[in-house]
Order: sequence, then structure tokens, then C-alpha cells
Amino acid sequence: MAVSSLNSTHEAVHARYQEVDSLYRETRDIRLLGFVLFLVSDVVLFSMFIFAYLYLRNSVPNWPPINKDGVQLPRFDLAFACINSCVLFGSGATMHFAMESWKHLKKADFNLWMIATIVLGVMFLGGQAYEYNHVPLTWAGSTMGGSFFTLTGMHGFHVFIGVIYLITLFIQANRGVYTGSKYFGLTAGTLYWHFVDVIWVALFYLFYLL
Amino acid sequence: MAIAVPHPPGGHIDTHSDHIHPAPRTFIGKYIFSLDAKVIGVQYMIAGLLFFCISGLLAEVVRIQLMRPEGGFVSNDTYNGVYTLHASGMIWMTIIPLVTGGFGNYVMPLMIGARDVAFPWLNLVSFWIFPPAGLMLFGSFLIGAPDAGWTEYPPVSVQGPPGTSLWCAAIFLIGISSTMTGLNFMVTIMKMRAPGMTFTRMPLFVWAQLATALLNMVATVALSAALAALFMERQFGVPFYDPGRGGSPILWQHMFWFYSHPAVYIMILPAFGFISEILPTFARKPIFGYKMIAFSSIAIALLGFTVWAHHMFTSGMAPWMQLPFMILTMIIAVPTGLKVFGWTATLWGGKIEYHPAMLFALGFIVVFTLGGVTGIFLSSVPVDLHWHGTYAVVAHIHYVLFGGSIFGVFAAVYYWWPKITGRMMSNKLGVLHFWLTFVSFNATFLPMHWLGLMGMPRRVAQYSDTTPLLINQFTIVNQFISISSFVLAASTLVLLYNMAHSLIAGKKAPPNPWNARTLEWQISSPPPYYNFKKIPAVLKNPYEFGEPLPYLGLDPSDKDDHHPSPTDHPTPAHA
Repeated sequence: MAVSSLNSTHEAVHARYQEVDSLYRETRDIRLLGFVLFLVSDVVLFSMFIFAYLYLRNSVPNWPPINKDGVQLPRFDLAFACINSCVLFGSGATMHFAMESWKHLKKADFNLWMIATIVLGVMFLGGQAYEYNHVPLTWAGSTMGGSFFTLTGMHGFHVFIGVIYLITLFIQANRGVYTGSKYFGLTAGTLYWHFVDVIWVALFYLFYLL
Repeated sequence: MAIAVPHPPGGHIDTHSDHIHPAPRTFIGKYIFSLDAKVIGVQYMIAGLLFFCISGLLAEVVRIQLMRPEGGFVSNDTYNGVYTLHASGMIWMTIIPLVTGGFGNYVMPLMIGARDVAFPWLNLVSFWIFPPAGLMLFGSFLIGAPDAGWTEYPPVSVQGPPGTSLWCAAIFLIGISSTMTGLNFMVTIMKMRAPGMTFTRMPLFVWAQLATALLNMVATVALSAALAALFMERQFGVPFYDPGRGGSPILWQHMFWFYSHPAVYIMILPAFGFISEILPTFARKPIFGYKMIAFSSIAIALLGFTVWAHHMFTSGMAPWMQLPFMILTMIIAVPTGLKVFGWTATLWGGKIEYHPAMLFALGFIVVFTLGGVTGIFLSSVPVDLHWHGTYAVVAHIHYVLFGGSIFGVFAAVYYWWPKITGRMMSNKLGVLHFWLTFVSFNATFLPMHWLGLMGMPRRVAQYSDTTPLLINQFTIVNQFISISSFVLAASTLVLLYNMAHSLIAGKKAPPNPWNARTLEWQISSPPPYYNFKKIPAVLKNPYEFGEPLPYLGLDPSDKDDHHPSPTDHPTPAHA
């Protein structure tokens, strides 16, 4: 089927997605389910630490708690976290546009959106590093600091891995590894990046708003 | 169920797909770093057997120590390490790897008509995490073994010897390995079944593995989180569990049991699967209530997530939680009871052959049911308050884990040994092994109920013997248990001898020595590298004894040819 004769509509995207040979289709199915299940198990990992955080939080009368030296701990800086969150959520949007550009065979747009996503991801990590340096807490100093650094650290590590993953995908896409109909790697990368975003929604609520 | 899609005529077949790979030629590729689920399964079995023997010897150390009230065989500190590593080794390094990684890897892909698991590389990594984790676990003896019991409750574990951190790391690693295996099996079962094998035509062992995979994938991650937090607290002082620094020891119990209760189903569900395969084969009867047994596995898996706090009735958790957890725990006995009912009804009117595998399956039903009954007692809050932390709990856990899981593993060994090795085992020795095990098992663990009811706490290196009822009562019962346990350990030697004898001088096994009907018996013993030359179509569930086999398109040469010709292009295991 001459794909290029179709215009870049959603039907064409769908047709390209379906035109692969049966072996690729099965492999894609298998890998997609495997990747989604991996993300599910990752959600459980975050959930357990979130449970621990909420449990410890509810076991003291006031939150933020008083640390072991009797000092009242402050709330987190909401304004800065809002800016940094917007950076991460923005990167989710640019990732979405990158994936859509690829599906519609707009390679130049794809490259631009991918670079934007990677830059925003790095900016978020920079923002988190800045926050780590300015928050008046330590990892081992209190349950508040312990939960905060463990959870945001795990999330930041996921973002870091995600940035490396996206750079790899960007290079691979430009070396012709993926085509208009075979692009499972990009799908997985997009899923992963959105997953990291969703986890941040939960963490943002739990640490800055709650 | 997907419909078979023919390959485009003359089209290029991509052999780089994950689940189809060319047969390895080198020794290392074939036996060490193999991608073949069958080889990986055997590797799991060998490593699991090794750790079974080590953990079993540690149990004998416990029994020698308790021969006398004053102990004295090992120091009290060493004793704490011994029982901690006995339980950790048996649970994480023996039973879970054997029933999922071992038999799951070997049998499950064959049963669903697949050529391999979904992600062979992931499978390879899963296995090779396991032996180093086992060595780390037992190696913790060298730097001060963990001494808080296998549950490692804080704050004792937070202050425990350095080996406790190594224990955390070892269990964390084996947990990651289990999670990956669970994910792998889940995808394999969901996506790679032979054409026509709908969910309700799957062998019951596959159902059991599906439920186990779900537990492994979700619950084991919870354990990883709990262990990571304990490790961070011990090594970096991050407060999670230490009440002196704002943490909560009960938090550990919640996180630990949120895994460890489902973990008992990780250990027992595959054993249910073994039994469900073995009983119909040796009773020559269709399994009674196929759907009931199949769906109850899933019900047990789901309910298994809702009962963890029944381990914590005495922990000081919120009292309002006791009643719901007690009721949910009792409810979980319903699907389990349905299974036992189905198995018993399968035997009714059957033409039973007392093969060693069948004997262990029958023994399983008896002792597992006894263990289940004491489980109901323990789930009841008033009884639990009395029994908690006594030898009654030790008796209960051994009835369900030894009498359940290990009996199941023994049954599975006798059942699938000819398929795996291509050799027959001695039936006489198998029967001897069964009776020695069955009698000494009950002689070992039944009196532990009395000990517990008389008030002997678990995990003690010494006990005082001043019971008013009968002079030296604790001592006599303990000595009886110890002597029985020596017989129990010795009975394993019969199995080891039987295995060795079969490998050296056993009769060659036919493809289907038991006239069983699942797919793995329709090809040669041991199966060829690709499992099936042509993937058969499945018309029915495999338990309709007396009817023709429900498979279409099985290549008859699969029964004698170990090497598919290179021109016979591997096609996807499912389409």
C-alpha cells in the first residue's frame, strides 16, 4: 500500500500502524503489554513510599512536624514548585506533539518537539537540584525530609533515566531505526514520559498542597 | 483469542523477534547463559535444590539446639541467625524460585504451546540475579547474620548486626527477580497461547501461574520498597521505622505483610496447579469443577491483597482494623475450600494409580487441609491473641509451606522428571520417600501444635522446663520433634539418590509415560529446542479423559525428533 498517497489524517496514521507484518504486530503487542505492566509495578513502588509518607504524617499531631532538635519544620515553597511543575507538564505536552509529528510523518517537527522535551526535562532536573539545595531539610534529619528526598529523589531518578532514554530515541529515530509504521520504541518512550508526569502530579499534591 | 494470520507468501520472516532465537551451539550458550525457558527452569531447580539443602541443614541446627532446655549446641546469637536464615532461605531462595522460576519456566510455555516465554533475555537476567542473591543471603553469616527472624521487625532489625543490610540487599535482589519473572509470565500467558487455547481451555497449572504472576508483579514490589526503606534507615539513618526518631515500627509490618501475605499464595498457588494436573492424570478422570478451580486461583490472588493485617492483631495497630481483616481472612478459606472440594470430587470413582507423584498429591490434600484448618483458628482474633508468637504458628506455617508447597514440589518432581530428563525414576524408592516423608513430617510438626498451646514461644534458644502437667514435658516433646526431623531430613536423601540413580542408570522415558493430556506430553522427552515444530490448535481443555486428544496439527515427528530441520522456519508461537 502506498502510504504516501494518503494525506496525513488520523486514518492514514491508523492505516500505517496496521500495515506491519504479523510478526512485528505480535512483537509490538507483547512488548506493549510488558511495558505497561512494568509501569504498573513501578506505580506500586511509588504507592508504597507514598503510603509510608502518609502513614508517618498521620502518626504525628501536626504536619510539618517538629524535628529531633525541637525545631518546627516549614512548609515547602509552593511558588517555586509550581514553576518547576509547569516545566515538567510542559515537557509532557511537547512529548505528545513529538509523537504526533512522528505518526504524521513530520520528521522536522518531531525533532524540534523532541529537543524541546529533552531541554525541559533537563530544566526540571536543574530546578529540583536548586530546590534540594535550598530546602531547609535533610534526608536523615526527620521523617518529613526522609519521605521528601526519598520520593522526589526516586522521581528525579526516573526523570534522569527518561532524559537519557529520550536522547537515545532521538538519535535512533534520526538514524532510521523507526519508520512511519514501526515505532514501538517511541511509543514506549512517550508512555514512560507521561508516567513520570503523572507520578509528579501525585507528589506535587502530596508535598506542596496537602 | 487472536486469529491465526498467515505470513505473506514468500515474505521475509524476521527471526530477530524476541521469542524466537536460533539454537545456541556453544556450551555456555546452551547451559549457562541460555535463553531457553526450559534450560532456565532447570537452572532454577538446581539452584533451588542447593538452597533447599542448605536451609534444611539450618533447620536441623535449630532442632539439635532444642534437644535440651539449656541449648548449648550453638551460641544464642548464632541461633538467632540460624532460624532467620532457615526461613529466609526456604521462602525466598527455595520455594518461590522452585515453583515459579523452576516449574513455571519449564512447564508453562510447553503447556500453552509456546516456543519460549515472552522476554527470554529478561528471563535470563531474572535467573542470574538469583544465585548471587542466595550467596549474599547465606554469606551474611560471615559478617554477623541477621537475627530478628525472617520478618525482621524493627526496631530490632534497625539495630541488628551488619549482616541485616546484606539480608536486605539479597532479598531485594531476589524480589526484583521475582517481579521480572511475574511480568514475563503474565505477558506470556496473556499473549502467547496456542491458537484456540481460550482462557477456559488453559491447563489449571497455567491458571495458577497467571494468578501467581499477578501477585509477583504487584506484591513483590511492595517488599522491595519496604526493604529499600529498611536499608536506607540502617545505612544512612533515614527515619522510617525507628520510633525514637519519628518513624513507626508498625509501618514496616504493614509494608512487609502487604507483600508477605500474598507471598504465601505465591508459594501455594503453583502447588495447587501441580496438584490439579496430577490428580486427574492418575485418577483417569476429568477434573471436577474446572472453572471453579481456575477462577478460585484468581479469587485467592485478589483476596490475598486484603488480608495482610491478620499477622498484626497483637502489634498495637488500630483496633477497628481487626474485625474486617479477620472476616476477610476467613472468606479466603472459601475459594481454597472449593479447590479441595474439587480435588476430592475428582478422586471420587476414579481409577487411582498410586504413583509417587499421586501419593504426594494425596498427602498434600491431607496435610494442607490440616494446615488450612489451623489457619482459620489463627485468623480469629481471640485465638490469635493466645497463639501469636508460639510454636502453634510454627506448626501452622510448616503444615502449609512444607506440607503444601514442598509436598507439591515433590509431586511435581516425580511427575515431570521423565519429561525434563528423559529418564524414569524408581517408583519403589519414590513410594519409600513418600511414606518416610509423610510420617516423619507429621511426627515433626504435629506436636508443635501442643508445644504452642502449652505456651512455648517461637525463636527461643533455651526454654525452661517447669510445666506443672508432666515433668520434663517440653523437653520430651522437643526431643521427639527433633528425632522426627532427623528422619525427615534423611528422607530427602532417598529422593536425591533416586534422582542420581535415574540420571545414571534410569530407563529411557517415553514421550508420555502417564498418558497425560496436556501439551507438554505430546512431544518427546526431553522436548526439542523449539518445543513444537508446528504450533497445534487447541479445541478443548485437557482433562476430558476417554475422549480423543483435543489438539489439531501436532507434528507426529515432534515425539521422536530432537532437532527441527534448519529449513523449517520458526514461526511465531501464536498469531
